Amino acid sequence: MTTVQLEHPHAQRRRTLVRGLPLAPAVVLMLVFLLGPILYCLYSAFTDMALTGSSETSFVGFENFRKIFTSDEFGRALGYTLFFTIVSAIIGQNVLGMFLALTMRAGGPVARAVVSAVVIGAWVLPEVVAGYLWLAFLGEDGPLNQILGFLHLPTQDWLFSLPILAVSLANIWRGTAFSMLVYSAALSEVPREIEEAATMDGAGTIRRLVSVTIPMVRRTIATNLMLITLQTLSVFGLIWTMTRGGPSGASTTLPLFAYQQAFQLSQLGYGTALALVLLALGGVFSLIYLRILRLEDGVR
Amino acid sequence: MSTFSRRALLGAFAGTSTAAALAACGAGGSGDSSKTVKVVFRQFGANTVQTDFLAAVKKEFEAANSGITVEFEPVKAGESDYSTKLQLLMRSPRTAPDIVYEDTFLINSDIEAGYLSALDDRLSSWEDWSQFIPAAKAAAKALDGKTYGVPDGTDTRALWYNKELFEQAGLPTEWEPANWEEILEAARTIKSALPDVTPLNIYTGTGVGEATTITGYEMLLYGTGPNPLFDPDAQKWVIGSQGVRDVLTFYATVFSEGLGPDIKQALNPDFGNTVNQQMIPEGRLAISFDGSYACGSWLPTGPTPWPEWSEVMGVVGVPTQNGDGPKVSMSGGWTYAIPNNAQNPDGAWEFIKTVASQKNQTTYAINQVQIPVRTDVAADPEYTAANPTNEFFAELVKNTQYRPAYSVYPRISDAIQRATEAVSTGESTPQEAAAEYDSRVKEAAGDAVIEASS
Amino acid sequence: MTVAPTRPVRPRVARGLAGRGAANLALLVVGFAFVIPMVWVVAAAFNGTAGLSVSWPQPWTFDNFRAVLNVETTYRPMLNGLLLCGGGTLVTMVGAVLAAYPLSRYRSRWSRPFLLTILFATGLPITAIMVPVYGLFVQINLIDTVLGTVLFMATSALPISIWLTKNFMDGVPVELEEAAWTDGASPMQALRHIILPLMWPGMSVVAIYTFIGLWGNFFVPFVLLLSNDQLPASVSIFTFFGQYGEIVYGQLAAYSLLYSLPAVVLYLFLARRLGGAFNFGGAVKG
Repeated sequence: MTTVQLEHPHAQRRRTLVRGLPLAPAVVLMLVFLLGPILYCLYSAFTDMALTGSSETSFVGFENFRKIFTSDEFGRALGYTLFFTIVSAIIGQNVLGMFLALTMRAGGPVARAVVSAVVIGAWVLPEVVAGYLWLAFLGEDGPLNQILGFLHLPTQDWLFSLPILAVSLANIWRGTAFSMLVYSAALSEVPREIEEAATMDGAGTIRRLVSVTIPMVRRTIATNLMLITLQTLSVFGLIWTMTRGGPSGASTTLPLFAYQQAFQLSQLGYGTALALVLLALGGVFSLIYLRILRLEDGVR
Repeated sequence: MSTFSRRALLGAFAGTSTAAALAACGAGGSGDSSKTVKVVFRQFGANTVQTDFLAAVKKEFEAANSGITVEFEPVKAGESDYSTKLQLLMRSPRTAPDIVYEDTFLINSDIEAGYLSALDDRLSSWEDWSQFIPAAKAAAKALDGKTYGVPDGTDTRALWYNKELFEQAGLPTEWEPANWEEILEAARTIKSALPDVTPLNIYTGTGVGEATTITGYEMLLYGTGPNPLFDPDAQKWVIGSQGVRDVLTFYATVFSEGLGPDIKQALNPDFGNTVNQQMIPEGRLAISFDGSYACGSWLPTGPTPWPEWSEVMGVVGVPTQNGDGPKVSMSGGWTYAIPNNAQNPDGAWEFIKTVASQKNQTTYAINQVQIPVRTDVAADPEYTAANPTNEFFAELVKNTQYRPAYSVYPRISDAIQRATEAVSTGESTPQEAAAEYDSRVKEAAGDAVIEASS
Repeated sequence: MTVAPTRPVRPRVARGLAGRGAANLALLVVGFAFVIPMVWVVAAAFNGTAGLSVSWPQPWTFDNFRAVLNVETTYRPMLNGLLLCGGGTLVTMVGAVLAAYPLSRYRSRWSRPFLLTILFATGLPITAIMVPVYGLFVQINLIDTVLGTVLFMATSALPISIWLTKNFMDGVPVELEEAAWTDGASPMQALRHIILPLMWPGMSVVAIYTFIGLWGNFFVPFVLLLSNDQLPASVSIFTFFGQYGEIVYGQLAAYSLLYSLPAVVLYLFLARRLGGAFNFGGAVKG
């Protein structure tokens, strides 16, 4: 909405180049360090590379993809991945992050500083330590069950009975900081006068949020959703530490499935192809976000 | 970005044209390579035993071989990160070390990927090699029949039991189970006498990973007959055996009768530490299938020092299913190997010989609480006196077996872990789980399977 | 905007105070929920016999900190980490701000394909990419150099940083810039003097995000740096894992607290920019 149309219909190619010049440092770095490796990685998905077959690698076309889409285990892993992404990122981190950003704007400076430092702390602890911490928290005699017992609520054994929920909760805890920061920054760009005008008009808090504040940051919401979706789709270490994908494979998301295929089970091409499927999944999510954004946004 | 497919990628990329082209320009090395021997090894935790040991060996070696300098590059990392680093280093002659320290569990992948050089010619003219026990000699032997590494020690496995709990339950404190049934009987006695104590732990499921396979399942399976997992003559994986069903029945019995730990806890990836750092020292577990290294947690240098352990804990070998034949033990451990791209393989071999000498191996076995693979070290009174359980576990080496850790082994191990998990949770009967195991093995090994004879 | 006419308008002051109280309460509840899981790591750090269960330190001790506070485990890796990640963040920020400017200010049919391409490129497994990258680094002699590692780390963080920076730059009204142009300022001068000062909250987020991402990255420096004394703080985690998977929980927890400090300090330092007191909207629309 703030982009301006500065170019004349027959803009000079040269001016385009000059304008694009600031892109150069970033583009050069990415061309030098990432382009070749990425192409090489893409190539391997179409081969039968395996741990032991280094001298016999051959091009197999879409065979790896055919194997993926006809496997039952892939279907299960895809289901767990969708659950994990939707519950922990799209709902959990996103909504909680927005909620925190909004309440911090309204809250006092002390509460703001303390709570944000705690949420950031959850983010910066090493991934494996976050995993252990949640193992301890959800354990049989862990704090969660003690609190539930204190409140006379039934205790949980989610690590065993519902591991995908357990790892999703851990990922909300660990990842909310990012959404909180992004939304805090975006909200600080929203002019208070507009919100205050709405308040003067008698709009309630909720109404003001829905019809004034949130629409003003919807571009950021789309960006944030896209980034956290991609990050969450590839979460590995946290789940690996907490469950190893079990019990009975009930928390084996696609990255863990790919790891088992590629690392433990020595099927390389298959594993890389799975990584591409994961990316395609991210692409589908992104298209949905961009679509929603475009529908709501007349300018672009 | 995730961390999967690391090791597999490396192995596979190794021989491809692009990788070769990239690596080729690195040829030449730095300086006069015959003057240095570069050693890469994995440094475990804050434990500096190996670092200190190698520093002393370096001194001895450099004094005897003037003009050659030994350089060390300890790597602190997780298992898959370490093997990744090794493989990357070995790919290019420019960065290839002269000696790499390889886990016997993973060395076959590097052998089959062509990273390591065979040592047979060198071993045949090394008289000390005859001191190595036969099983350990085969630890780094590949399917091609050649040997690629020199082991520096191993671990063996047995039953640890709590004598105080045994006494309270009215069981003999010098316990000697003659067969599987007697293990179960002792567990049942404890269950009825001491209801708050977990009678018996045997690792199960995919959570604890390879511990389930080598410390639990295989300790039983190798007591059901010769070559129950892999047939070395046919070079094929065994399916359809009664032994597999019997082992899975043992698991089912342990967990369905409530003799084992709470299954919810047992499937936890960190359960191994719960056992040795909490349940055993706190007297909450009576019998446990575990390794010679279990006491490492209780030593003054370990994570949970427990001075009384040598009084309280007893060790006894795992009997075969029916009590015939010697006690069963499985072994892992590490070896020193020479990469194909090593710049100074001759210097490397000289250094390996120094590391593996009787004197140095005795020092190492004592300080690292390792089980020696040299008969002269195992017999050394200084070694047997160093730790109360040393003599017992070293004795097991005579009949210990190494895993058939060929490149398909991780998939077999995965199938084993899933089968034990299915029977421990009660999800499958032993028959069903064994059938499922067979189909997984067929999927993993293709044609390389053979029906059990009996 | 349609407003329910029956609803009485409360006095603003009272409403503000009530709102602030409610917000503080909500923050307290969420903060509590975030703190409870952390109890384990804090208690274990001061516990002489820490295990994987939450318990009161027994005995209460500073030994875990004493054990990890040495050159080998903490000081040197931390300094290396600050150098690598600080340098990487700086390079990323400069690259991202420059790149975001044309992407945000000029309309081109290439912008969106470009942005999507770089974003998805980063979705590939880093480990798969590191294999050819290692070969590249050996070839161009950047292996085992801090400079090469900083550049690669910065590059790997660029795509998401460019996305975020462009997003926040889009939020800065172009009207402010136009005034500068009328005064004869070049686009780069406008970027530096008008846009950047206005998007500090956003830039703080990009900086924190980039730094924390690099700080937690173990694998890239592990692969690209060969000598131990150059490796950053993320590598010391493995000091606490033994050969048979045994873990020294107390020291691991103590180290984790120290490890998290730089990132939290950076946040608190930049947080004042994020507070929301900052408000430029009025300058234009007020």
